[in-house]
Amino acid sequence: MKNFYIFIAVLFIPWSFSLAKYDEFEDGDDIMEYDDNDFAEFEDVSEDTVTESPQRVITTEDDEEEATIELEGHDENQEDFDDTDTQEGDTESEPYDDEEFEGYEEKPDTSHSKNKDPITIVNVPAHLQNSWESYYMEILMVTGLLAYIMNYIIGKNKNNRLAHAWFNTHRELLESNFALVGDDGTSKEATSTGKLNQENEHIYNLWCSGRVCCEGMLIQLKFLKRQDLLNVLARMMRPASDQVQIKVTMNDEDMDTYVFAVGTRKALVRLQKEMQDLSEFCSDKPKSGAKYGLPDSLAILSEMGEVTEGMMDAKMIHFLTHYADKIDSVQFSDQFSGPKLMQEEGQLTKLPETKKTLLFTFNVPGSGNTSPKDMESLLPLMSMVIYSIDKAKKFRLNREGKQKADKNRARVEENFLKLTHVQRQEAAQSRREEKKRAEKERIMNEEDPEKQRRLEEAALRREQKKLEKKQMKMKQIKVKAM
Amino acid sequence: SPFPSGRYKPPATETNPALEDPTPDYMNLLGMVFSMCGLMLKLKWCAWIAVYCSFISFANSRSSEDTKQMMSSFMLSISAVVMSYLQTPQPMSPPW
Repeated sequence: MKNFYIFIAVLFIPWSFSLAKYDEFEDGDDIMEYDDNDFAEFEDVSEDTVTESPQRVITTEDDEEEATIELEGHDENQEDFDDTDTQEGDTESEPYDDEEFEGYEEKPDTSHSKNKDPITIVNVPAHLQNSWESYYMEILMVTGLLAYIMNYIIGKNKNNRLAHAWFNTHRELLESNFALVGDDGTSKEATSTGKLNQENEHIYNLWCSGRVCCEGMLIQLKFLKRQDLLNVLARMMRPASDQVQIKVTMNDEDMDTYVFAVGTRKALVRLQKEMQDLSEFCSDKPKSGAKYGLPDSLAILSEMGEVTEGMMDAKMIHFLTHYADKIDSVQFSDQFSGPKLMQEEGQLTKLPETKKTLLFTFNVPGSGNTSPKDMESLLPLMSMVIYSIDKAKKFRLNREGKQKADKNRARVEENFLKLTHVQRQEAAQSRREEKKRAEKERIMNEEDPEKQRRLEEAALRREQKKLEKKQMKMKQIKVKAM
Repeated sequence: SPFPSGRYKPPATETNPALEDPTPDYMNLLGMVFSMCGLMLKLKWCAWIAVYCSFISFANSRSSEDTKQMMSSFMLSISAVVMSYLQTPQPMSPPW
């Protein structure tokens, strides 16, 4: 019961607040006075007549009292009359004579003004106004959208300019080395388009083919997403560079079997984790290349020492030291199959397809604030790529190296088969069960009882045969064991 | 030329969907969710965020992206904004 009263009391509070608000707006006092006036005006007249006579009768004995009574009485009357005057017009201008009141002083004005309520100006809430200023959030939103669109146009154009700056510088070298420069795969015949293939606003492709030893070369200009404002803002926190990725697919007969990588330590650590071939064949951590005169920023991942020795010739070292700041990673691999595929359990029944590949990843200098000149400065690296293609063709492992390489590859394959043996067995088992179930269903669905019986008998005979075979096998094994 | 020229092969990202950048798809979905919220709950800010999402999805889109999908998400978000303002013409109030 107590709680109920408290609850009611609590309910009264907001209700009373709401009432109080109304008071502000409606000047309740005035209204009440006005209401009183409706009836008071008649009372006042009688009061006046009543007070008149005592004033006349009593003279100076109770002057003060009279005066005060007079004043009070007059004040009230004056107020009421003033209110009626203001609210009813001039219908009752002077219902009383000035001479009737003696000792009347000019006081009512001050008290009058004191009692009158001050006019309060209430602020109209924003959502009731209808001026443009109140829509500032909307204007902000539209401005944001316009900024986004502007950034899209500017970013897109910048990427475009950078791509074409790169291509114009590299065109000559590419055209002298490759018969086919630029192909988007859509035309029927293999003809050079001589143009970059724009994949989207930040990736441009170029396919080059028709050179000795390599099947083809795919160049990808992977720019930063300058056309996306969110990306631009994110890059202010974490700077990143544009990248140029070059993937050369070698002919089978033009490259020996080895896995080798050189690049920044950070990149190699990441690649060793991500790439299928590097993780399987290069088990050691990235080693320093100081032995060959490489700067400290670069490290080496290799399948075996002989490969490193063979790869690090004078010209290669020259390239790597001079352009170390632009090199992210260089990977030569005969077992290249891309990054490790995240496959579910039980799906990995076959080794991924491999291709002999040379993969180069270069960082464009400028770390985001790239200019066309920065793109042009990558030209020597293309020479390095061409040199590497020829090098990969020339480099052959000696007998020992070849044996080791073959052993490595066999080992990897065996491991893979072991891993998947269980899965393959399960797959075979489930297939057999499926077949059995399908047969049983067929038998059940057979309406003709004769046919049913015949099918059942056939199935039984087959089962018996299988059992016999198994028993024979077991016997043979037992005999052999003995 | 004496050497056979192989044809262009699309890079791995096109054949292996796991390697593709998921941003445009996420933004598309987010945009549609915000549009529906804005339309049904009559929240203006939801509708505005939906417009932004569809713009971001467009900017990040791949070449193989369907323009119909892009346009439909964009139209949905614009209609969410327009409907919110037709229902309640008052300006949006900031969340603070």
